Amino acid sequence: MIRRRSARDTATGASASAGEGHEREDVYHLGSVPGVVPARGGRLSAVPSRLPSQRRTEPFVVELDRFQGPLDLLLHLIRAQDIDIFDIPISQITSQFQVVIESGIDRLELDRAGEFLELAATLVRIKAQLLLPRREEEDWGEDPRAELVRRLLEYEFFQEVSHVLGAAEAERRRHHGKGYVEPRARPEPVREELSTTLEDLLEVAFALPEPIPEPTHVAPVRVVTVEEKVSVIRRHLGRAGRFLFSRLFGSWNDRQHVVAALLACLELAKQQVLRLEQVTRFGSIWIFPQESPLVGPQANEGAEERELAAVESEG
Amino acid sequence: MRPDQIIEATLFASQTPLTVSELARADESLDAGTVRDALRTLRERYEAAENAFQVYQLGDGYQLLTRPEFAPYLERFDSVPRPPTLSRAALETLAIIAYRQPIGRIEIEDIRGVASTSVLRTLQDWELIDIVARGDGLGRPLLYGTTRQFLDHFGFRSLQELPHPDDLPIALRQVDDPEGRAAAGGTTNERHGTGAGVTEPDGWRNGAGPASETAG
Repeated sequence: MIRRRSARDTATGASASAGEGHEREDVYHLGSVPGVVPARGGRLSAVPSRLPSQRRTEPFVVELDRFQGPLDLLLHLIRAQDIDIFDIPISQITSQFQVVIESGIDRLELDRAGEFLELAATLVRIKAQLLLPRREEEDWGEDPRAELVRRLLEYEFFQEVSHVLGAAEAERRRHHGKGYVEPRARPEPVREELSTTLEDLLEVAFALPEPIPEPTHVAPVRVVTVEEKVSVIRRHLGRAGRFLFSRLFGSWNDRQHVVAALLACLELAKQQVLRLEQVTRFGSIWIFPQESPLVGPQANEGAEERELAAVESEG
Repeated sequence: MRPDQIIEATLFASQTPLTVSELARADESLDAGTVRDALRTLRERYEAAENAFQVYQLGDGYQLLTRPEFAPYLERFDSVPRPPTLSRAALETLAIIAYRQPIGRIEIEDIRGVASTSVLRTLQDWELIDIVARGDGLGRPLLYGTTRQFLDHFGFRSLQELPHPDDLPIALRQVDDPEGRAAAGGTTNERHGTGAGVTEPDGWRNGAGPASETAG
């Protein structure tokens, strides 16, 4: 029950301003109609002012004319004159309708004008049917006006619903959520003529600076060769006489050094430059110089031996 | 953490309405029943505390919205976003779609008596309507229906809140004619049944809580 009342209230509230006489007369624009409203110069206005909600500055769809269409105009004529819709004086309404559209139709787009003319034609047809003499009390079948009445009633119903929707919308707008997200209108693809020549394009393309290469940091991998290790070993042998295998790579702690050192040792052992000794399993590997006539720098030989003797005597 | 606090946090952080099942995702301890209870608790808390906002139902979702009496203050700020106001043509077209959906363009134009292509496109852009099916007729015409956004835009919980034909002040019908009544009301009656009786009193505006969401 409550809802019933409220629906009616809001609906009447919305339609009161629109439905009553002066507001409608005020906005009447298509021209003068005898006996209905005073002429308003027949101006087409782009700003609808029939409903309060339409006076806002955020027009959704800009209406070029006051009436939504021929049915709206016809409904207005009927309402404004308190005509019983179930007994429409077709002749009177038709001539009024014609006067209105004749005065304003030039300013309508062709499509819209066609809509008004179509209904005008319908009215004339109904009028003609009504004028045709009929035999006494013989059935018309259906009243020629019936279809028009049905359409008007249906249209009026939806017009009233739209008033209720308008009121509901106004009420809803008074409630604010956090950051209303506007749905975006689909962007219309814009096709633009290209006013650029190939020369322009090339000029711009060549003017583009070379892209700066991304700075990359690659740590250089130092390749340790067996030859390097060989010379290190020779130096050590020359200086200390004997030394631990781990000394050859200890400070680098790198597999590459271990491998190179091992290969170098094996190579030199093969050449009988040095001798490898490991006392216990997994124990330290010692490298001793191998006295050999085939190798060894002649000049240092004596010194080497002395050094070796000194170290040995220390140990 | 109480369920109503969890729901409160979720609603607070959301820009769009959330359904009961969406809200229930916030925690394993929640189900449809506890969410509804929590929503009711929140409503009562806000009511008692005279908060400037309240939980409202829009479509099948819930959202925190300010109470209407604070609208004048908020409207002074440009940064407070406002939804569009629909034109007469748009409202009229929406009314037809809402009652007759799914409905094609031709039928809409028959009722309105005017071409409606651009209005339909605009309504579609605003996501108030969408293509819901294709007709069987020639060329398999596109059929339109209303969306969740439609309910949100008008603050309806469901289509049942649309006015029943008998509730409308149809001036022309004051001339008592049963035939005419049938003409205007017949088709809508079929679709909506006795809508007036089904719907909860006064809809969401009186802050009808989650308890009455049966309508949706």
